[in-house]
Amino acid sequence: MKYIIIGASAAGLACAEQIRKEDKDGEITVLTKEKYLPYSRPSISSYLKGAVKENNMYLRKSSHYTSEGIHIVTGAQVKIIDRKSKTVKAGRKTYPYDKLCICTGSKPFVPPMKNVDGKENALTFLDLESAKRIKRLANPRTRAVVIGGGLIGMKAAEGLSKICKSVDVVELAPHILPSILDEKSAKTVKKHIETEGHIKFHLEQTVTEAKSSKNKIISLILKNGDEIACNLLLLAVGVRPETELAEKCGLEVSRGIITDPATMQTSDKSIYAAGDCTVSVDMLDGSKKIIALWPNAVNQGIAAGSQMAGGKITINKSFSVNAIDFYGLRICTCGLINVQGAKYSDKVICNGDRYKRLIFEGGRLAGYVLINSSENAGIYTNLIETGMDLSSLSGNLFDTPNPFLFVKPVRNKLLKGELDL
Amino acid sequence: MKRIYAIEELCLNCRLCEVHCKTAHSLSKDVFKANKYEEPTPESRVTVYGNNFASAALNCRHCDDPKCVKACITGAMTKDKTTGIVYVNENKCIGCMTCLAVCPYGCIKQGKAAVKCDLCRNENEPACVKNCPNHALIYVDKGGEEK
Repeated sequence: MKYIIIGASAAGLACAEQIRKEDKDGEITVLTKEKYLPYSRPSISSYLKGAVKENNMYLRKSSHYTSEGIHIVTGAQVKIIDRKSKTVKAGRKTYPYDKLCICTGSKPFVPPMKNVDGKENALTFLDLESAKRIKRLANPRTRAVVIGGGLIGMKAAEGLSKICKSVDVVELAPHILPSILDEKSAKTVKKHIETEGHIKFHLEQTVTEAKSSKNKIISLILKNGDEIACNLLLLAVGVRPETELAEKCGLEVSRGIITDPATMQTSDKSIYAAGDCTVSVDMLDGSKKIIALWPNAVNQGIAAGSQMAGGKITINKSFSVNAIDFYGLRICTCGLINVQGAKYSDKVICNGDRYKRLIFEGGRLAGYVLINSSENAGIYTNLIETGMDLSSLSGNLFDTPNPFLFVKPVRNKLLKGELDL
Repeated sequence: MKRIYAIEELCLNCRLCEVHCKTAHSLSKDVFKANKYEEPTPESRVTVYGNNFASAALNCRHCDDPKCVKACITGAMTKDKTTGIVYVNENKCIGCMTCLAVCPYGCIKQGKAAVKCDLCRNENEPACVKNCPNHALIYVDKGGEEK
């Protein structure tokens, strides 16, 4: 059996390792267009600010791939998937497959702005290579501007603030981190970032035009007419699923690659897809969405790998869970946080810099936003995932969750497992 | 593999397990220094929850199929193939705490890097179990994945 995996991040690596668990002899080849072995893409912001060294960013030791028999080809940009001959072409090489998995992830979305495209100090921030380029360009005299106040933009801004003279963030929405925070909590977080990182925010703003000199941007004009100095521009407005290969070979694609939500099989029975390039079905409200988060990508990669190798693992539980920190402020979110409608309710407890918002759907927990109060958050996550009836709990849900939240039989199982003592 | 289990009915809420866990994970390995003034302050990986009427000490279950390992974004959290111990490589961990957000038992603490039980790195008996005065913590093999 010949397995080909396109993409070597969370989903691709999980897929390859799962195949090996279930098929000891199959030939596994992972093609990555990057020149690095699988590394922690979310860590590039830590790398930028100097908190982690490159050699600690690799997800596995290189010997791991040899011992597992996973052949990783770096610098292999796949150009074509030929479904008729069941081959993929990368560079001058052709790789035949029996089963193929597309794990191409995301690509940056760059909105049109006058005089920005092609400038040598305008960069996106999505991989190690771009982080290295930014690190080379940024210095204590740099005035950096980040367009986009989402997860990637804010982490980039945090990293840059440790290096640069000034950092400005331009965001279209009325508050930062719109994908993980509600309006009130976003205010608290923004204030913290302004104080700790001396970052200047321009909310509900867009960049209309850049002024440049010798192919370098020197300043930006905002929608309201303001001009801000800029000698390093980071474009972090958002990401879109990378679906080009799938589209070109005629697979079913909407916003992302469409797969069977349980098996990750695409509209071609020999081809699977996993990770940020796919459309996920959120188990909490049944909606189809792009869940571009690491744990989801790994779970999908495992399911795809198992199915490709003839195994039984499927995916039935996709939902968002995310943990991040800014200058020591810890944010942890899960489930449905920006929902409206009569069936949802929420409750907020705010105490100094601690903020805890729980979102309910009837008698079940549907989501949470925790700021500086994420202790044991996984217990909440588990309540969301299992849909446990909250009326069966014996403790106060707003206390730090612990085994005593549960009635004794449940608690005993947590403490003693299946042991009969 | 051998794991630590807690017996609520026998727990005194004395928190000696925490004291000895800190000591075992300190630089000095001295019970007084570790709990009084060592810097950086050692963290206990076991936590006693409850009150004087009902309490129990909780620590990592070293799951067969650990969610924290699957969710780890840096490859810092791994399950040792031989011993089954789930542990953190502190050089690789960036302290994002995604592991904490998915651990259904609430057994990971936040720090510069994630803090969790490492079964005292395969000592004969972990410090918390060894020092529990009423055998409320036991270290036994109930089976499970081990290669």
